[in-house]
Amino acid sequence: MPVSGAGPRVPRGLRVGDWEVGEPIAEGGWGWVYEGRRVANTDAGGSSTGPTAAGRSSTGPTAAGRSTDATDRDRGAGAVDGGHGTGVTDRGRAAGAGDAGHGTGAAGGDRAVALKFMPTAGLAPRQARGLAESARRESEFGRRNRHPRLIRLLDSVVLDEPDHPQLDGAVVLVMERAERSLRQLLEAEGPLAGGAGTRILTQICEGLAHLHALGWVHGDLKPDNVLLMADGSVRLSDFGLAAELDGTLGTHAWMPPAGTPDYLPPERWRAPLGERGVQVRPSTDIWALGIVIHQVFTGGASPFPGATAAARGAAVQEFAAGRAPLRLDPAVPEVWRALAADCLAPAHESRAAHTAQEVLTRVRAAEGDASDAPGDTAPPRRRRRLVLGAVTATALGAATAVGWPYIVADNEDHTAGKGTEVHTENISGTASAGARVTVFNVEKYCRDRAEARDPICSLGLAVDPRAAYTIDNVVPTRVWHGDVLPAECRMSKGLPVTDEVGTRTTTWYKVRLRDGRAWLPAVRTKDRPAVPECA
Amino acid sequence: MSGIVIHLPQEPAQTVRLGPGEVARFGRGSDAAPVELRLADPSVSRLAGEIRVTDEHWLLSNFSATQSYLVENPEGAGEYLRVPPRRVGAPIPFEFARVVLPTRGSGVSFHVFAPDHVYLDPSGPEGDHRGTRTLTAYSLDQTAAYFLVLVALCEPRLRDESALAVPTTPEIVERLRRHPQYGRLTARAVSAHIDYLADEKLRIVSPAEREPGRGARRNGKRETLVGVALRFGLVDERHLGLLPARTPSGAGACR
Repeated sequence: MPVSGAGPRVPRGLRVGDWEVGEPIAEGGWGWVYEGRRVANTDAGGSSTGPTAAGRSSTGPTAAGRSTDATDRDRGAGAVDGGHGTGVTDRGRAAGAGDAGHGTGAAGGDRAVALKFMPTAGLAPRQARGLAESARRESEFGRRNRHPRLIRLLDSVVLDEPDHPQLDGAVVLVMERAERSLRQLLEAEGPLAGGAGTRILTQICEGLAHLHALGWVHGDLKPDNVLLMADGSVRLSDFGLAAELDGTLGTHAWMPPAGTPDYLPPERWRAPLGERGVQVRPSTDIWALGIVIHQVFTGGASPFPGATAAARGAAVQEFAAGRAPLRLDPAVPEVWRALAADCLAPAHESRAAHTAQEVLTRVRAAEGDASDAPGDTAPPRRRRRLVLGAVTATALGAATAVGWPYIVADNEDHTAGKGTEVHTENISGTASAGARVTVFNVEKYCRDRAEARDPICSLGLAVDPRAAYTIDNVVPTRVWHGDVLPAECRMSKGLPVTDEVGTRTTTWYKVRLRDGRAWLPAVRTKDRPAVPECA
Repeated sequence: MSGIVIHLPQEPAQTVRLGPGEVARFGRGSDAAPVELRLADPSVSRLAGEIRVTDEHWLLSNFSATQSYLVENPEGAGEYLRVPPRRVGAPIPFEFARVVLPTRGSGVSFHVFAPDHVYLDPSGPEGDHRGTRTLTAYSLDQTAAYFLVLVALCEPRLRDESALAVPTTPEIVERLRRHPQYGRLTARAVSAHIDYLADEKLRIVSPAEREPGRGARRNGKRETLVGVALRFGLVDERHLGLLPARTPSGAGACR
């Protein structure tokens, strides 16, 4: 987003926490974004790595120390890093994009950040409250949610700048610095080729699937909020509207009555407004995803005709009322057309059937197809990852009807495929072939709606079956009734576990997930696979 | 984009909603020429014209071979446009419009409201307005009478005089009496503006309404309207300047 002629509002060189303000990046109704660079300072900010020189060697200036810390924290405490559907993919390309990207950036030392200023001075008190609310949403979201597909919130600072009355009291969110937004990419390059578009869309779906699995709605998904990092990986950003689904029902969230007209689903134009805002559901993001899919392959064109956003909004209404058909651009590849059409189902009810997770599964399959297509311009490493995705999808299709993508494909399943290098890169385990456990949930309510993958129906897996089953001992990946997990071995004398109806067991199965191993208590499955006792 | 609302004031009053792409014909009507909007006046032709909703506005077609129709903006200080005979699809730019068909008497008229008109966010930066900006989904015309009524409704809470009181309709009429443009709003007009805000612009659901069997709907509506407008910054302190000065000594400022 180029900045309008208003000129910089934040003086260059201003200190914000540990950072120094640089070039302006973007501007919006909520405030301004500037580039920031870490200032060499004498206190190492609690980093154990210590050295503070502003160098850029791989051994660690302050920036590296801190950033590496952050990355490690994510991996170690497990925040949510592995809890999403991309475990294998990320791990598979460990030396490439994604997580490793952080590492490289941190080691590079001159890693820039984005400073999002949300000024409160000069605003009427109520307006300031609105902005503060938005900042609070965003920083709360950032604190609670970390994921390789979500822009990382590094810090938040409240400015105390009596010399700059305009900035005094402003909330500054310190975030990863992206290279550009998807909108900028589309404006610069026009329609994306199948391979590139597929890669970006897949990563958008990964982020969205993760958000929804956590029970959040993004609420403002659009190419401006899809950021591309220097390594080409995608981050969703701008969680100023993101809302957590209502705790009791888990089907709705409340959001201020704001949004970007081009991405609002038909029902939003008629949505009633209550004291808490408008109701939104994850299907809101699914609709927006449908629009984004179309835009990626058409250089930013909406599937709905019209010169203004209002005209396109009216076209959405016409379509939703059944008075106009959906006319998707033939430039959109076949498989994506079908996906976009599903995302753009006019009624919330029919759209709700297409969860982000389901879309992601289909996207992965499509990603595989695209990588096989001639003319794919992805670099070799990327290509390998794409192949990997394809193998996973195929293997899943063969193994089970429940296509949840984090389940590691068993060796047997893809030897017929193109996956030789996948083995070496990804799957080191040598479990007895085909041993599986199907997750069982004793709650009938959850069994009946396993497809919905409702967060309240998710089940945890332990890191260590001999340690107390506390929050620190649970892997980030959740499982649901019906999921099929490859089992490696069994531990008969783990910590006793009692399920909701009183069944007790000390047996645990070591299962493989996309992002590693974890332990499933035997009360969580009806299967008793013939696996050896763990060493 | 919820379309437009057409209101025929004659007895019995008729309200018709049209969504984008929908069409309604108007005229005296007959078996051969059925109309959706029946205007029972002998001097109106059987099929007098057509209204078609497109984008966030609407188009007026004049099927008469001899008569021009007038479209007035009731809030526009005499603003109007003339749709000549046989004109097809004249775009009407007003959020509020009164369509007048000439008759031997005082004329036949009906109202058309287009609540979907979009306004840029008042808090956004000027210039550089791109289509992808995040907007408040409920855009209000800050020069419209309904906005003035909304500010008057919110005034006690904006001035922190009372966290609870919401002015009554007569109080608002009195409050706006010295306004240069809208000083002659009647109680009925004020009520109509409140209904328009609640039903068409903000689509308020009052808490009482969500519980079936409660009769407190009308009262709940005003409070909810004020609560929502303040909560989401649709009205704030800066808008108090739109209201006329409060003391009699300040009346001169209003000219």
